Amino acid sequence: MTPPPPLAAVAIRQLIHRYPGARRTPPRTALHGIDLCIAPGTFFVLTGPNGSGKSTLFRILCGMARPSAGQIAIFGHDLLADPCTARREMGVVFQRPALDRHLTVLENLRIHANLHHVPPPLFRQRLERLIAWSDLTDRLDERVATLSGGLARQTELVKVLLHEPRLLLLDEPTVGLDPGGRIAFLETLQRLQHDQGVTILMTSHLFAEAERADQVAILRQGRLLAMDAPARLTERMGREILVVQGEALEELAHAFGQRPGVEVSLQANELRIRGGDLLEWIRELLTGHRQEIRSLAIKQPTLEDVYVQLTGRALQADEESS
Amino acid sequence: MMRATLTLTHRELVRFFRQPHRVIGSLAQPLLIWAFLGGGFTASFRAPGMEQLSYAEYFYPGVLLMLMLFSGIFSTITLIEDRNQGLLQGVLVAPVARMAIVLGKVAGGVAISLVQAVPLLLAAPLLGIPLGWAEAGWIVWGFFLSCVGFTALGFLIAWNMESTAGFHAVMSVFLMPLWMLSGALFPLENSPAWLWGLMIVNPVTHALTLIRTPLYHPPLEFLASRDYWLAMTITIVWAVGTLMLALWRVNQVERGAPPEG
Repeated sequence: MTPPPPLAAVAIRQLIHRYPGARRTPPRTALHGIDLCIAPGTFFVLTGPNGSGKSTLFRILCGMARPSAGQIAIFGHDLLADPCTARREMGVVFQRPALDRHLTVLENLRIHANLHHVPPPLFRQRLERLIAWSDLTDRLDERVATLSGGLARQTELVKVLLHEPRLLLLDEPTVGLDPGGRIAFLETLQRLQHDQGVTILMTSHLFAEAERADQVAILRQGRLLAMDAPARLTERMGREILVVQGEALEELAHAFGQRPGVEVSLQANELRIRGGDLLEWIRELLTGHRQEIRSLAIKQPTLEDVYVQLTGRALQADEESS
Repeated sequence: MMRATLTLTHRELVRFFRQPHRVIGSLAQPLLIWAFLGGGFTASFRAPGMEQLSYAEYFYPGVLLMLMLFSGIFSTITLIEDRNQGLLQGVLVAPVARMAIVLGKVAGGVAISLVQAVPLLLAAPLLGIPLGWAEAGWIVWGFFLSCVGFTALGFLIAWNMESTAGFHAVMSVFLMPLWMLSGALFPLENSPAWLWGLMIVNPVTHALTLIRTPLYHPPLEFLASRDYWLAMTITIVWAVGTLMLALWRVNQVERGAPPEG
């Protein structure tokens, strides 16, 4: 096995994690041999549904759990053999802000600086610079308990940037933020990436958030289904999709599925048709099947469609192999 | 490592003084218990060899020890809050030895206890116990050891707990009995054999000896006594032992099971 490339921000090879069982729960493999390489300066989003293994991968990356097998290097430092050195390179943002609610913003920031060996003069200098782009300038002496969710998130971000990490790990950081706060937070991350070259690895179960990334990895049941730039992933889906909503669409799905070059997927009351002449299909649906149809739409494929298609294929493969 | 420990200790102190109910809770409860039990039992308390002692005076070192127990417990309960609030995760991923987490918490607990207990020593002359600087120094040393023991023990229990309710249950069935069976409430001497056995193996009994003895004997006298040194050794073994166990506990990282096949 060749060693991972030393310059990668994150290099993961053959990572396996198996949860040991308890008396009533059998052992469960959460990650089945993941290989992943993230170049420095990339905005990388790890996405997938709940239970796909992204939280397990995150916990291993930030050193909270040791995997069953595999190698991880952070900027060339072996995370499993020398965790302290590797951790100096990272800033970690958890789902719940890791802040003391009884302390002020400044006190929280100072604790973090001390734990990350930032000398006091450097702390003041960095604080001034970091606080400038946040809305915290006048709130430094307020207790964290009095801040809004968005401001607490900003405090958290300023905090983890104090030790100037080259890699930011974020676990579902937008959970609990309103849509405005969510967009503002993602824009801040993008600014950090562009201005300071910080590598960002973020987990998210929202495919819409992944669209902003340079690279997206889609995880399902502990396996990587796909990894590429979002645009390239959606390109793979081909052109537009015809989305038909209505009742009892099984027959229609079957009929369209028989046509050469046409792919269909049916989930609940939604039929998705790709390939062929979509305008022709619309005309046909409107003339022959008006009763079954509630709405018709043509849309550009999104990552969610990529996921639906990939999981459909994976399910099919699972069925065939069993 | 030192800076990380001091940072976490400082945080404990700031948090403590910023929550007035905590200050009142850990100080007022022992004082109330002292006032009520001391007042109520004084008339009926006639321990052999201690006839000249009022119950309030007998109970005084026990109250001081109770203060150690309570502030140690309250300090470690915050560990559960830290975990639930997410703060602990932030500390765990920092490039510091996990030992700093234990030492920071224990040192914080000890500092908080001493801040409360040392002023209470001023009550000794009011009870008619003259107290010199040397005696007071040895009592504070007893405070220190017992508080390390209680806080490290609390840390050990709280480390993997998810709810403070669970901690309260352990406190009532395990931590409080440790204090009750230490000779704080009643002397060992006239207890039934089974109780005496429990009390003598209880390290807290010996911690209490370290607090009670200097109240009545000058240092030159008790430092020459074998019983005092035995109590000192047992208390040190308890404090250091629980501290080592807590250190071992925090260094346990969740590990994946060996891969299949």
